[in-house]
Amino acid sequence: MTGIEAGLLLQLGLGALAVVTALTAAPSLRSRAVGILCTLIAVTGFLTGLGAMLGATGGLRISMALPMDPLVLAPDRLGGLFMLIVSGVGILVSLYSMSSTRGPDASRTAWVAMPMFLVGMQLVPAATDSVSFLLAWEVMTLGSTMLLLADHASRATVASAGIWYSAMSQLSFFFILAGFAVLAAASGGTSFSNLQAIEPGPANVAFVLLLLGFGGKAELVPLHVWVPRVLPEAPSHVSAAMSGAMVKIGVYGGLLVCVRLLPDGPAWWGIAIMGVGGASALYGILQASVSSDLKVLLAYSTTENMGLVFLGLGASMLLRGYDAQAAADAALVAALLLAVSHAAFKSTLFLGAGAIIHATGERNLDRLGGLGARMPVTAAAFGIASLGAAAIPITSGFVAEWMLLQSLIHGGRLDGAVVSVAASVAMPLAVAVVALTAGLALLTFVKAYGIAFLARPRSIEAADAREVPPLMQLSLALGALFVLALGLLPGPIAALVAHTVSSNPGAAVQSVGLGGVSLPGIGAVLDPIMLVVLSALVAIPVIVSIIVSARRYPHRTVDLPWGGGGSRARPRMQYTATSYAEPLVRVFDDVLKPSRDVQVTHVAESRYLVERVRVEQRVSDVFETRLYRPVLNLVQRYGIVVRHVANGSIHRYLSYSFVALLIVLIVVSL
Amino acid sequence: MFENIYPQLIGLCAGALLLTSALMVWRHSLLASIRLLALQGIALAALVAVIGIAEGESELVIVSLLILSVKGIGLPWVLAHQSKASIKQIQESPRLNPTAALLTVTVLTILSYIVVSRVFGLGDSSTGHAAPIGLAMVLIGFLLLISRRRARSQLIGFLVLDNGIATITFLTSGGVPILLEFAFSLDVLLVVLILHVFAGRMRTKFGGTAVDQLRELHD
Repeated sequence: MTGIEAGLLLQLGLGALAVVTALTAAPSLRSRAVGILCTLIAVTGFLTGLGAMLGATGGLRISMALPMDPLVLAPDRLGGLFMLIVSGVGILVSLYSMSSTRGPDASRTAWVAMPMFLVGMQLVPAATDSVSFLLAWEVMTLGSTMLLLADHASRATVASAGIWYSAMSQLSFFFILAGFAVLAAASGGTSFSNLQAIEPGPANVAFVLLLLGFGGKAELVPLHVWVPRVLPEAPSHVSAAMSGAMVKIGVYGGLLVCVRLLPDGPAWWGIAIMGVGGASALYGILQASVSSDLKVLLAYSTTENMGLVFLGLGASMLLRGYDAQAAADAALVAALLLAVSHAAFKSTLFLGAGAIIHATGERNLDRLGGLGARMPVTAAAFGIASLGAAAIPITSGFVAEWMLLQSLIHGGRLDGAVVSVAASVAMPLAVAVVALTAGLALLTFVKAYGIAFLARPRSIEAADAREVPPLMQLSLALGALFVLALGLLPGPIAALVAHTVSSNPGAAVQSVGLGGVSLPGIGAVLDPIMLVVLSALVAIPVIVSIIVSARRYPHRTVDLPWGGGGSRARPRMQYTATSYAEPLVRVFDDVLKPSRDVQVTHVAESRYLVERVRVEQRVSDVFETRLYRPVLNLVQRYGIVVRHVANGSIHRYLSYSFVALLIVLIVVSL
Repeated sequence: MFENIYPQLIGLCAGALLLTSALMVWRHSLLASIRLLALQGIALAALVAVIGIAEGESELVIVSLLILSVKGIGLPWVLAHQSKASIKQIQESPRLNPTAALLTVTVLTILSYIVVSRVFGLGDSSTGHAAPIGLAMVLIGFLLLISRRRARSQLIGFLVLDNGIATITFLTSGGVPILLEFAFSLDVLLVVLILHVFAGRMRTKFGGTAVDQLRELHD
């Protein structure tokens, strides 16, 4: 028995044990017991994934009673990387959920669903044939749906989110199933090793179907409509697992199609992926930047990050088509690094949001504030993860976006010559998209951190906040630590990641210096430790001189007789999330189409005096209102007409069977 | 001696089966329907016994006793298990008037003769000639299911359908192994018991068992 086989078996065994424990354990023990088992599942997955990523082989064969080929789970290097990502998030989430879950989130059903969700996610990248892939995929979807719906009884929004999520998941599943079916029909087999369409016709159809399916899971526009409903409504540890890990499975699907199954596609495939990715990145960050609900903000930011990942993937496909191999590999590694770093910072952010909700019961930024002093560990972790999300140096997000930009800027040229017209148009556009996205992301996360953690509390709940339990702090700290580690030592990690996708990894990415990263094909080097040392050399004299001058002139409190309004500042005078984003809403008015509601209450004596002004602004999802609503309305109208066919009368249903039977009898006797 | 009257006995039993089915469509009283069902069960048992004696298979004779006890006595008794006074009053108001129903029965019988002769061939044995009766019973049972409003009348339709299936089996292949037959009978008995309890619950809860009033689904 190989190590990989043992690891996979152990994951399945622990999963079954966790389900049984969740069913049988007493409520007081349930969270602890199943939480520990879930952590073990994730740790096993982490080790298995690490082994597979480093090149260990082996796998698990499961014979089926049904007349079909046995299911084979044998992760390759790329699968290992994704198993590593999802189980890494799984460890954080399991640790966190042990002490965060309360009420319906800690119910028996929810704890049964948790191991299912984890095991499903960890086994999707291990699948080597479409049947086991889809099987694990469905277990993952089922588990996440159950977790989402844990609190459906008390909140109507959860039930609605559940319906959206189920519908969109089934749509994704349908597209993936259809795509695999097309490939299987063209190649004659369900195993990935022979699931490769040679003819361009079926290959094009399969590509579009699979891109739609995996794009739906990876939250790409316009299939992202479930995201702003589901991620905010799910319990925070579930949102973290969904956004940090499950979405990566969608990315893995995209890579499976573009790297493994259909690697030699025409140029328009790459351009299509870049287009979808770019649109998702821009739309996601725009919506995130104007949202005042913390979890909606994080949800839309996930769409943005996944858009960037697919932008890198598309660029790599396009460049590979023109034989710019080194740049293509660099773009692909950038996409993978972005996926890894997103898993780290977004799960930390969602767990941080969960900590805020745990402490205050609020996720509306306009009612938060001043949490930095009250919840120092959460604030530090959330801050570091925000830096990562905003792609600031020495965090993981920066390294990934830097590599993406390098490959986009230099990718259009090979040995000084333009590789193609398509690339020379697409690449600068992509650079512009990444730049605009990065700017808006900075704004978004300054808002998220600044409004929630700095300034004064805007509500009593925020003022009364206390730091969360130690286990939650631990998982937050672990996540933040990884964001920093990836940002400070990107070289070894990038080199490892390059091994998973590139045939010649050394030519694409190398580790230089003390954990720095170099892209030999492009000629770019980044050494974060050196950056830190340099900035320290600049900063230390400044800090020293400030301290010295502060000593010389001791601080004096000045009590102004007339404070100019400054001495009586109240929390209501501060910037809120909505007011901070107001200029952005004005700039992007045409895209966001906000609806504003202004209510002016006059003083009873005179209508020239205003007593109160109430402004409400809602930004709805354009795709939902313009694309999905009309379709849904049409379906609903049609459904009402069709309802007469199935009106609930048992006699009518029996008559249908009777008439059908008679028709069959008449037809066979003709 | 027996060889001479064998085809006539088969014809008699099959005729009794068809006649009872047709009468069930015609009669509206629940008690009458249950009695007809008992008669039908006895006819089916007789049919199986005749086939068993003709082919010299003792197993079929045992099956016929089983059928007699379950379909001739057991099921009708379960269905009629209520005070005689109240069951006499139960009158079905079917969705199809008797004339139309009997005409439909005729059409269905003709159709089953056509289907069986075209698709399977009637053969020259006396059992083969009677086989369409079984299909006709299946169709008539279905007709009862869709034309009756009360839960128990529908149950009778279901039992006629089941009798029809059994008739086809015995007439075309000389029956199924005794174990299977035993299992089928028990299944049907179980279904009837469950539905009977269910109908009782419906009556106490809604005051009636008219199935077409049950349209709304609830959590």
